[in-house]
Amino acid sequence: MLFSVLIYASEDFIDALSPEEHAALLKKHGAFHEHTKANRNFAAATKLMSTGTSVTISRDSDDFVVTDGPFAETKEQFMGFYLLDCATLEEAIEAVKILPLDHGRIEIRPVEFFEGADFKNAERLVINAS
Amino acid sequence: MPSAWLSTHLRAARPRALAALNRVFGDIDLAEDAFQEASLKALRSWSPDQLPADTVAWLIVAGRNAGIDTLRKRRRETLTAPEDLEPTFDGSHPEDGLSEDIDHAVYRDDILRLLFTCCHPVLRKDQQIALSLKVVAGLSVEEVARAFLVQPKTMEQRITRAKKKLQAARLDYEVPDATGRAQRLSAVANAIYLVFNEGYSASQGSELIRETLCEEAVRLARLLVRLFPEEPELRGLLALCLIQHSRRQARLDGDGQLVTLEHQDRTLWDRRLIAEGNILLQTALLRTRPGPLQIEAAIAATHTRAASYDDTDWAEIDRLYRALEHVRPSPVVALNRAVVQAKLEGPEAALMRLEPLAAPLERYPGYHTVRASFLAEIGRFEDAQDAYRLALALAGTEVERAYIRRKLAGAAPEPPPV
Repeated sequence: MLFSVLIYASEDFIDALSPEEHAALLKKHGAFHEHTKANRNFAAATKLMSTGTSVTISRDSDDFVVTDGPFAETKEQFMGFYLLDCATLEEAIEAVKILPLDHGRIEIRPVEFFEGADFKNAERLVINAS
Repeated sequence: MPSAWLSTHLRAARPRALAALNRVFGDIDLAEDAFQEASLKALRSWSPDQLPADTVAWLIVAGRNAGIDTLRKRRRETLTAPEDLEPTFDGSHPEDGLSEDIDHAVYRDDILRLLFTCCHPVLRKDQQIALSLKVVAGLSVEEVARAFLVQPKTMEQRITRAKKKLQAARLDYEVPDATGRAQRLSAVANAIYLVFNEGYSASQGSELIRETLCEEAVRLARLLVRLFPEEPELRGLLALCLIQHSRRQARLDGDGQLVTLEHQDRTLWDRRLIAEGNILLQTALLRTRPGPLQIEAAIAATHTRAASYDDTDWAEIDRLYRALEHVRPSPVVALNRAVVQAKLEGPEAALMRLEPLAAPLERYPGYHTVRASFLAEIGRFEDAQDAYRLALALAGTEVERAYIRRKLAGAAPEPPPV
């Protein structure tokens, strides 16, 4: 089963981190990469740019409307996600415990359908929930 | 020993909480003291495992209580205290419900008011920078003093004088209308760019504190972009800061000497910051509301697209400078454009373009170095040396002087090939 691991944190907080604290955070992500790769759970990692770079597209009757900023103004922002290929939810939960959780929240949500392109090699990987 | 995570939470919460306290008390000094008290209380009662659900709201309530205590004490101490010492509460403050989120719009107005107060037009530029760093970013007086190479005591006095000026100016605490808000946003964006430039210009202070200034400016710009996503000029500000900041490793050589754009090792540029700056600029330009910071960011972005200095798209940069001259004309912009035009039309034509700038930029060292470099290019070495000497006499810092001395030494005919 493919699980998405959705990471939420306050950008105010992330921006306030000292370089040392930031390094400590990245170290935990590094440990997570190592663990999930060793267990062959790792599928993908995606870190998003700041929400300041976001635009949101909606439709107003016949017109497309592009507004600046993220879809919702929230105290914590969506920072990025991992995809893990785990046999059980429990396995995914155990892996996520390696990630930094001193602040923010991490949501695990199973993937119903996934299609990805290996755009460097033009190969394609399709995974359906089963 | 307070946990590092707790002080980071306080640092993160500071601008919003302090801005709300500034609204409540209508007094920056009192708001700062109240925030300080609230922070001490937080350090005693928070733990990494047990943080309040909303740290900002918690600090606002604690700070408000601390501030009211202070006002009551002052009132007891001075028998003839005026009535208006008590802040005027109408009983319905947004932070009353601790668990409820403060409305986004309230934060927007609060932060804008706080920042605008710190960079109010009655203040000198250096006071604006000092207040923004001390009050909003929360740097210590010692840190701000180090950035300006003055004694902490001197900086303390400078900040006190600035605050007195603000009190005398009797600032308006009303929520501004659309025009007023646009003016404030523009003043605030410029002030943040001043903070960034103070760190970036390598003018004074240790490298470490300069880097801190740049990073604080980026942090404030990020906060503003989050609060005002619909303002393209703020995205332009953040884009500009990020793209400039991406060159920090390449701007000084091993001996701390300035390296100009032409000679920078472009592999040292931080591509991650450049990518973010470029996309910010793209989103800003979707709005078709150009402003000077967006144009400056576009100029910086054009440089990032060139693999080498020789590959620079000077025609595009010239178009952008023309646009900048249109929205914000100044002799310095004209000078920068002349540098670009020298690439397109040659040094002699550019030299002609400098003539009308001679009077307004007489005391500006950059004018004389640019002119000197044009003169050297066309072989008028003696005139070039004179111009470099003028620049040397006007330059404010040792880094600049060292740079000009090197140029002066190089302004000579090529030695004959051996």
